[in-house]
Amino acid sequence: MGRRIDEPSRVRAVARYALAIILVTLALLISLALQHSFGNPFWFFFSVAVILSTWFGRTGPGWLSVVCSTLAVMYYFTPPVGSFAVTPSDLPYFVTFVSCEVGVAQLISWRRHTEDALRQARNELEVRVAERTVELKKANQALLKQMDEQRCTEETLQATRAELARAARITAIGELTASIAHEVNQPLAAVVANADACVAWLAREHPDLAEARAAAERATQGATRASDVIARIRSLITKAAPEKSRVQINRVMEQIAALAEGQAARNNVAIELELSPDSPIVLGDSIQLQQVILNLVMNGIDAMTSVTDQPRILTLRSESQDSRYIRVVVQDSGIGLTEEVKGRLFEPFFTTRSKGMGMGLSISRSIIEAHGGRLWAESNGSGGATFQLTLPSEDKMAA
Amino acid sequence: MKEQEPIVFVIDDDRMIRDGLQSLIRSVGLQVETFASAQDFLEAKRPDTPACLVLDVRMPGPSGLDLQLKLRDDGIPVPIIFITGHGDIPMSVRAMKEGAHEFLTKPVRGQDLLDAVQKALASDRTLRQQRKEASEIRGRFDSLTPREKEVLDLVVAGLLNKQIADQLGMSELTVKTHRAHVMEKTQAESLAHLVRMSEKLKNASRK
Repeated sequence: MGRRIDEPSRVRAVARYALAIILVTLALLISLALQHSFGNPFWFFFSVAVILSTWFGRTGPGWLSVVCSTLAVMYYFTPPVGSFAVTPSDLPYFVTFVSCEVGVAQLISWRRHTEDALRQARNELEVRVAERTVELKKANQALLKQMDEQRCTEETLQATRAELARAARITAIGELTASIAHEVNQPLAAVVANADACVAWLAREHPDLAEARAAAERATQGATRASDVIARIRSLITKAAPEKSRVQINRVMEQIAALAEGQAARNNVAIELELSPDSPIVLGDSIQLQQVILNLVMNGIDAMTSVTDQPRILTLRSESQDSRYIRVVVQDSGIGLTEEVKGRLFEPFFTTRSKGMGMGLSISRSIIEAHGGRLWAESNGSGGATFQLTLPSEDKMAA
Repeated sequence: MKEQEPIVFVIDDDRMIRDGLQSLIRSVGLQVETFASAQDFLEAKRPDTPACLVLDVRMPGPSGLDLQLKLRDDGIPVPIIFITGHGDIPMSVRAMKEGAHEFLTKPVRGQDLLDAVQKALASDRTLRQQRKEASEIRGRFDSLTPREKEVLDLVVAGLLNKQIADQLGMSELTVKTHRAHVMEKTQAESLAHLVRMSEKLKNASRK
C-alpha cells in the first residue's frame, strides 16, 4: 500500500531532478552560444536556471542546479577553460558567483516553502469548511424533519382532542336525552294505561262510568305531568332572557372579521366587510350575537373549502332597514344549498359535515329569536349561500 | 275441587301507572293487588291462587330483575310480565332466559297487557295443576318401602319380573308381591299409568 503511493511521488522526484539538469544544460548551451557575441553572460542564465529549478523542483533539485552550474562555470568559463581548476585571480569573481547562486537558491526555496505551507493550510481549511458545511446541512435537514414530525404530532393531537371533546359532548347529550326520554315516557305510559282502562270500563256490557271517569282523570293528570316535565326542561335550556345592552353591530362584525381572519387566510378566503355607514345599534347580548355571526362566518368559510373554480369570497354586510330593523348578511361563494339541505338546515343535530354536531344553526336561530329577530338562509343566484338575520334596532325596542 | 279466584299483582313505583294498570285489569273482571316496590310485595301475604306479576324493571330499591331471581331462588314459581321504559336487548334477553313470561315496553297498549295477563294466568293455572298432581303422586310414592322403590324403578325401566328378580337377587314370586304392593299404594290402574306418574314426578322434581 505504501509502495503504491510512493511510486508516483518517486517518478515526480526524478522528474524534478531531471528538470534541474535540463535547465542547467540549457543555460550552459545558451551561454556558450552567446559567449562570443556578448562576452560572459553565464551568471545571468545560470541564475535563471537555479531560480526555476528551485521554484518548480523544490530544495533538492535547487541545490543540484547550484552544484551543476558551479561545475559548468568552472569547466567552461573560468580559465583555464576545459578543466575544473580556478586561477587565483578569478577566485573572487567565482566565489561571488557561487554565493549569488546559493543565496538565490536559499531565497527561492524559502519562498517556495512558505507558498506550499500556505496552500496546504488553505486546502485543509477548504476541506474542513466543506466538511462542516455538509455536517451543518445534515443537522439542518434533521431539524426540519423533526419540526415536520412535531407539527404532524401536534395536528394529530389536536384532531384527537377535538374528536374526544365531540364524543364527550355527544355522550353527555345522549345521557341527557335518555334521562329526558324516561322522564317524559313515564307519564305517557300512565296516560296510555289510564286511557285504555277508561275505554275498557266504557266498553263493558254495563259501562262503569265512575271507574271510567276516574281513569280519564288520571290520564289527564299524566298528560299534565308530561307537559310539566317538558316545561322544566325548556326552562333549563333557555335559562333567562338574554342580557340586553346597547350593541354596536358594526363593531361586533369588525371583531368577528378579525377573529376569523386566520381561518380565512388558511383556507384562501377573502373576507369583505361592508358596514352600514350609520353605525346601527341593537339591544342584545353582545357575546351571543358574536357567537351567532361567528358561527355563520365559519360555516361560510367551511362551505368554500372545496371550491376551486372561482374566487373564495365571504361578504359580511350590515344594513339598516327602514330604521326598525338591522339586517346582517353573511354571503359565501361556496357549494350552496340543495333544497333538501335548506329544508333541514336549522334542525338540531342536522349536519352535512363529518365533524360537527349539527347544533350551531339551531342554537343560532333560537338566540336570534330570543332577541326578537329572524335568521334564515337562501341560495345565491351565482352559487353559494346567503345567511341573513334581522334584529330590531334600538329605536324600535324603545318604542 | 273448585278453582280459586285468580289474582294479578302489579308492582310499579309510579302511582299513576300503578293505578292505570290496576283499573285496566279490573275492568276485565280480574282481581288486582298493587305494590310500590319489590320489597312490599315480598313482605305481603299472598293468597294461594293462580296469579301473575306485572313488574316494572326500573324501580328504586330491588329492580324487577332482582325480584325475579329472588322469587326463583325462593321456589315461588309465578309467571312474570315485565314492563320497561327502555327495553334494551341484553336486559330483555336476560329476563326471558330467567323465565319471564312476557316483556312489554312502555307505554304498553292495554290490549297487549290484558292478553299477556290472561296467557300468564292460564299458564299458572296449568302449572299449579301439574304441581298439585305431582305432590299427590309424590305423597303416594313416598309411602313405598326402599325395596318396593327399587322394584318400581326397574319396572318403570321396562324390565320383566324374571330380570328384576335376577338383578335384585330375589325370587320371582317376591318381585310379584312387591309389584302388587307398588300398584296398590300408588293407586296405579295399569303399568302405563304407573310409568306416566313416575314421569310426572321426575319432570316436577326437575323443575
